[in-house]
Amino acid sequence: MDLRKAGFNHFVFLHVIKREEVALRRGVGYLKEEEVKLREMANVRFIDWAESLYEQGMEVGAYVSIGDPVNKIVDTAKEEDVHLIVTGRHRKTKLLELLACPEAIGVVRRAPVPVLVYKYMLPSGKINDKPFERPLFATDFSSASDRAISYLLQIKNVIGKLEIIHVVSETQLKDTSTLSVQRVRKEYRKKLERIRNMFMDAGLQADSHLYVGNLEEQVQKATEERGASMVVVGKTSKKTVKEDLLGSLPKKLVEESLLPVLLIPSEVDD
Amino acid sequence: MAKKVLCVDDDPAVVVAMETVVEESGYTPLTAPNGEEGLRKVRAEKPDLVILDVLMPKQSGIKMYRELKTDQELKQIPVVIHSGIARRTFLRSQEALTEFGDEPVAEPEEYLEKPVEPEEIAETLKRILG
Repeated sequence: MDLRKAGFNHFVFLHVIKREEVALRRGVGYLKEEEVKLREMANVRFIDWAESLYEQGMEVGAYVSIGDPVNKIVDTAKEEDVHLIVTGRHRKTKLLELLACPEAIGVVRRAPVPVLVYKYMLPSGKINDKPFERPLFATDFSSASDRAISYLLQIKNVIGKLEIIHVVSETQLKDTSTLSVQRVRKEYRKKLERIRNMFMDAGLQADSHLYVGNLEEQVQKATEERGASMVVVGKTSKKTVKEDLLGSLPKKLVEESLLPVLLIPSEVDD
Repeated sequence: MAKKVLCVDDDPAVVVAMETVVEESGYTPLTAPNGEEGLRKVRAEKPDLVILDVLMPKQSGIKMYRELKTDQELKQIPVVIHSGIARRTFLRSQEALTEFGDEPVAEPEEYLEKPVEPEEIAETLKRILG
């Protein structure tokens, strides 16, 4: 992927050693040797990655910190004024490799900038090395979705083809006549078309589709039908009571989607 | 008055070791934890030599080196790169930045790939600063 095309030219690597990995233990004390070992292990990887990016003329920085991963990630993002956080983790078993690390949820909740929860292993067992090839953008036409549109337009040069979907809930179609159902369908198709045209006008290949049913299930279905490489959604800046009680799409996607998820926060709370 | 040597490195252990070598070699050590702070110190203190790490937070040694070597007032200050990043990567990165339209820059006076024995650093300082 030509990262420069998308305006990505400065990378910051952060590895957080959890406090409990080196914390004081009875009879042992602070595990200084363990800390040095973990730091050096992270540095070996960072140097390797940094060399490849430096040779492309990129700017690279690195941190190895000890503490709470979520706090460290969010603090470092602020300190370095980053435009995108990428998080993800190699897990011990094949099944867990497909899923996001628990810290990702915390980062997504608190991050003021877009977060890419990168799940690099596809369900097929292959490496997903081109997440921006065919992203699927699920819009609910909210201000968070508008911000996601602006962000996708900014990075349009790395996107292969964009699939845009909206999911109409069954309750919106309940107890209505055929005509009313058709009106709802027409209304949302028009909205989708407007968004598609924005991307097409910007020179990006895009398609739009309307789905009906349970939000999470339909997004999952759409990723399979459209051969998506990643899911993109907008999210409100702060968690709401509703989100906690019902479970939001972003949270579900981070926890359960087998594809990378790019979450773009709204500038203001909805 | 003793010559001043600025050591720019984010690893506190390396900084302490460098300070010791610089002092024992008869120079005055100055330190900075990243390229951004390092550049500020160069402008304020005008050191006689800079020992520069590459992979650091805030601003890398690649960028700081380029800023130094394209500044008419600072480009004469000798720079010793002291890093785990390979020399060929450093040189290739500077070439890439030049290809993107930046000004070409000279190679560093010395490139020391970590880890380096204190004696080698002391010899390098002596050779460049006298």
